[in-house]
Amino acid sequence: MQVFFAIDLHDRGEPVSSMMNRLLMATVVLAWATFAQAEPLRVASLSTVMADLARDIGAERVEVTEIVKPGVDPHIYEPTPGDRKTIAKSQILLASGLGFEGYLDKLRPSLEKAGVRLVVGGDVVKPIETACEEHEDHDHSHGSTDPHWWHSISNVQAVVAQICDAFIAADPAGQADYEANAKKLQSRLAALSKWVRLQLAALPKASRVLVTSHDALGYFAKDNGFEILAVQGISTSDQPSSQKVKRLIEEIKVRKVKAIFAENIENPKVLEQITNETVAKLGGVLCADGLGSGATATYEGMMKSNVSTIVEALK
Amino acid sequence: MRGFPLLRLFLVAAGLELLGVPVWLLTRPAPSVPLPASAPIEPQKMAVYDVLLTSSAPARLAVRVANQPSVESAGPATSLSASFTMNAAEPEDLAVFGNFDPAAGNSALRVEVRLAGRTLADSTFWGTGLVEDVVTIPKP
Repeated sequence: MQVFFAIDLHDRGEPVSSMMNRLLMATVVLAWATFAQAEPLRVASLSTVMADLARDIGAERVEVTEIVKPGVDPHIYEPTPGDRKTIAKSQILLASGLGFEGYLDKLRPSLEKAGVRLVVGGDVVKPIETACEEHEDHDHSHGSTDPHWWHSISNVQAVVAQICDAFIAADPAGQADYEANAKKLQSRLAALSKWVRLQLAALPKASRVLVTSHDALGYFAKDNGFEILAVQGISTSDQPSSQKVKRLIEEIKVRKVKAIFAENIENPKVLEQITNETVAKLGGVLCADGLGSGATATYEGMMKSNVSTIVEALK
Repeated sequence: MRGFPLLRLFLVAAGLELLGVPVWLLTRPAPSVPLPASAPIEPQKMAVYDVLLTSSAPARLAVRVANQPSVESAGPATSLSASFTMNAAEPEDLAVFGNFDPAAGNSALRVEVRLAGRTLADSTFWGTGLVEDVVTIPKP
């Protein structure tokens, strides 16, 4: 830029004041361009998993605000007026979908009005159906589709591509950065997938029975040959009947299940009751509805923690 | 009515019985839900699976199966044979490892699984240094 103005000055021989004006304007334009570039893409997330992916893909180009924070039960969460304001100020809103956020349809009109682009992970994954027992008599937000898609790494890989595309659409100048970051993340996810398979290879197939608080690990079970026996239904708000608990205890005895698992959000009281009546021990705590804290604060950390806990308890 | 105590008694008794019907319906023990019939535990049919690891360059080779001792080459080798006795209905996954000298560059580890001479799985994995993966044996 300096070279350009130097040449300009010599070639045209314009008055110094005119040149100073030009320099000033150029400085203003340059400062504006720099400022515009530094302004990060504002992303709000209703999913702790998608927030983590967004931070990896967007890096310093995005500012991710977690509306639903780790440790909060997303099944019963409702956005506060403050959350709605934060969402309205964002450019992109990330959501799990498949009925996980029961309030999402109510949010849509205000998102459209505020010009917030909604990115729903459930739109690009392969959903699985879930057995919906004991719910014929009332409606609940899940339908018969399991919304916990992030327990399948291949689903997460599809969502990484989706988020990357959304970021590019909102901030085309960052395309190269977003694509490079997404590529790195995809290869880490491929490595994670192999790591999971290697860890689970140590677990005999007859031992691959997961008894959990609620039915959230269906995708993990499908990918890795597990059978799920859940105390609750697909939502944490589903309460088990005494008959169901009785049947489960019988099943655990017959299958000689070594361990059952609590969840990071759940109260494991019912599971403790089951351990009192069977030989199964409490195998540990799994992250089912999203990320946790510490070692489970990232998607990779959560998957590694879950797999290690399962293998350690069941082998 | 006043002059017929027996009739009054009968009417009171009938009324009580009528009231008792809904009470009984609400409080009768629910028919017990039959517990799921557990599949009869059949003795597992076992089969011997032969595994052959072949590498493109000398490497420390190993193959592991859940609940069984792993089989490893004594030192760098280009092949390793092992046999595992497993449930024929649901064979376990094989974890295979080839630890190559990184100087060997991109190297290959081939894994063949045979049952009674029939090839069930044949996979080749590539990489540098430690090449590791899992082979799932298809159910018969």
